[in-house]
Amino acid sequence: MSVRIWDGPSATLDDPQPPRMTRRSFLRGTTAAAGGLAALVAALNPLREFTQQDEFTLDQFLQKHYKEMTPEDMEKALARIRAEVEKRYGVRPHLRDVKPRAGVEFVYALNLSRCIGCRKCVYACVAENNQSRSPQIQYIRVIEMPRGTLDTEKGNHHYTHPKVPDINHFYMPVQCHQCANPPCVKVCPVEATWQEPDGITVIDYDWCIGCRYCEAACPYWARRFNFAQPDLAGDAINPDMSYLSNRPRPKGVMEKCHFCLHRTREGRLPACLEACPTGARKFGNVLDPNSEVAQILKTKRVFVLKEEVGTLPRFFYYFDERYPNSLDPEAVKIGQAIGCFPGSPAPEALA
Amino acid sequence: MLDEPGGIPESPFQRGAAAAWLIGPAFLILAAWLMLGSQRGDLPLAPAVLVASDQITPGARRDPMGEPPSVMSGGFKHACNECHRVFDSPTAQHRPMVQHTHITLKHGMNDNCFNCHNRENREKLVLYTGDLISFDQVPRLCSQCHGTVYRDWQRGTHGKTMGSWDAASGLQIRLECNDCHDPHAPAYPPIAPLPAPQTLRMGLQFPYGAHEHEHHVPLQEGAGRNRKPAAHPEKHE
Repeated sequence: MSVRIWDGPSATLDDPQPPRMTRRSFLRGTTAAAGGLAALVAALNPLREFTQQDEFTLDQFLQKHYKEMTPEDMEKALARIRAEVEKRYGVRPHLRDVKPRAGVEFVYALNLSRCIGCRKCVYACVAENNQSRSPQIQYIRVIEMPRGTLDTEKGNHHYTHPKVPDINHFYMPVQCHQCANPPCVKVCPVEATWQEPDGITVIDYDWCIGCRYCEAACPYWARRFNFAQPDLAGDAINPDMSYLSNRPRPKGVMEKCHFCLHRTREGRLPACLEACPTGARKFGNVLDPNSEVAQILKTKRVFVLKEEVGTLPRFFYYFDERYPNSLDPEAVKIGQAIGCFPGSPAPEALA
Repeated sequence: MLDEPGGIPESPFQRGAAAAWLIGPAFLILAAWLMLGSQRGDLPLAPAVLVASDQITPGARRDPMGEPPSVMSGGFKHACNECHRVFDSPTAQHRPMVQHTHITLKHGMNDNCFNCHNRENREKLVLYTGDLISFDQVPRLCSQCHGTVYRDWQRGTHGKTMGSWDAASGLQIRLECNDCHDPHAPAYPPIAPLPAPQTLRMGLQFPYGAHEHEHHVPLQEGAGRNRKPAAHPEKHE
């Protein structure tokens, strides 16, 4: 037996008419409708802030995927981005869409015997690629590793020695490995990231929905998410930009190392390499047998990080055959024994 | 059930009438919560860590002596032989320096000036064979001892390359030995590292050096600052 609550004046057994609108039901309905509308507006409030902050325009909304854009579409998109950058940062950017070169496949090689862990590459990259200073986004992680292991779990990112290198550690910078079999590309639900013919995996920042699947998929932790509106430190913005690389990113999209494609596709070297004081970083076209990287792959002892996960990185680590390093106590002992270091016994004594 | 004939036909609106009274206020509370929630704004972000651009300037770390070699003295440029034609130098290895006091000689066994410099003509370097070479042919001199490194340098697998990765472009600059290494003290000196990262997802948050009670909250202000230098299990000094 259900309870009857209906108590309108017309609710009599004698009157089979459907109930008409009463004052009570009118008030009730109006309150609900107004409350609902207010809730809807309140729920959309962040969207309003979003459009105010990010200059979200209809053009951007209707923009096609990078691969579907005609040259005219691209010109339109570049013009829009130029205007946005100029408005926000007061800098007229040299923005273009740099296409890959034919017959070029980029490869990076890093000499672990030479890296001293000074982090100059990290900050050169931040400055070159307009990365957010706050919250901090850095593409390169320099891991300080205890000697005798390659287990990155034992590494430390937060080392603060007054001087590097520390004699008990070696330093392993990790950035995007531009894998030939990239897991990050496979998991992207909207194809906002893909591998270019020259081996660089790129992101269309206007197509990315910020789901962060790629960040989870990457075994090298190479992808970064813009949790907040990037703070680009005002006038420090680098106006040399391209669509797929270092143009300013909005909040809520992924980004990562792209081998400075706006530089490298024009023949220049990546910013991290140019900043490296020891020449530990090497970059070039692996399809050219005389290039430095091809020579390294041919003549040096080379390995890739996490080979077992099958990602086929284009980023290689290698070692030198070194003669005694004056910072290495074991090597100093050997060096002194064979007479290579000050404090050695006289050559006659050795004989 | 109210199915008797003549009963008031029931509408869903009627049946949920009590609940309907709650819908309006519930919506209003939701609206207030959403408004206030979105007014909280973003997290208080940590201040940006800025690094002076001269710390990341590309290029050689040294400014090696050019060809012909010269020294600045009293605001004037002097060729080496201007003095050394008159003053010879003793060949003793560890004599106190009167001139060239900025030179620290830390080159292992190679601690004699005239292993590399020519005694007769100070504007030339000398090979083991006795052949004189100019100051812009330094790699030939170094290769006499550092053969494996010289081989690597010729291949491009040692040393720093600048300008372009494409040797055919003609823009490539290969740095030579003394663009990076001081020939008198060639070991690369330890330098101060740039600030540690305060980013998200940087490995285990309690690495071997850090302390477990230090929470890693990189988005928030104050996090990571006053971080103590990592205490290392092995002391090296």
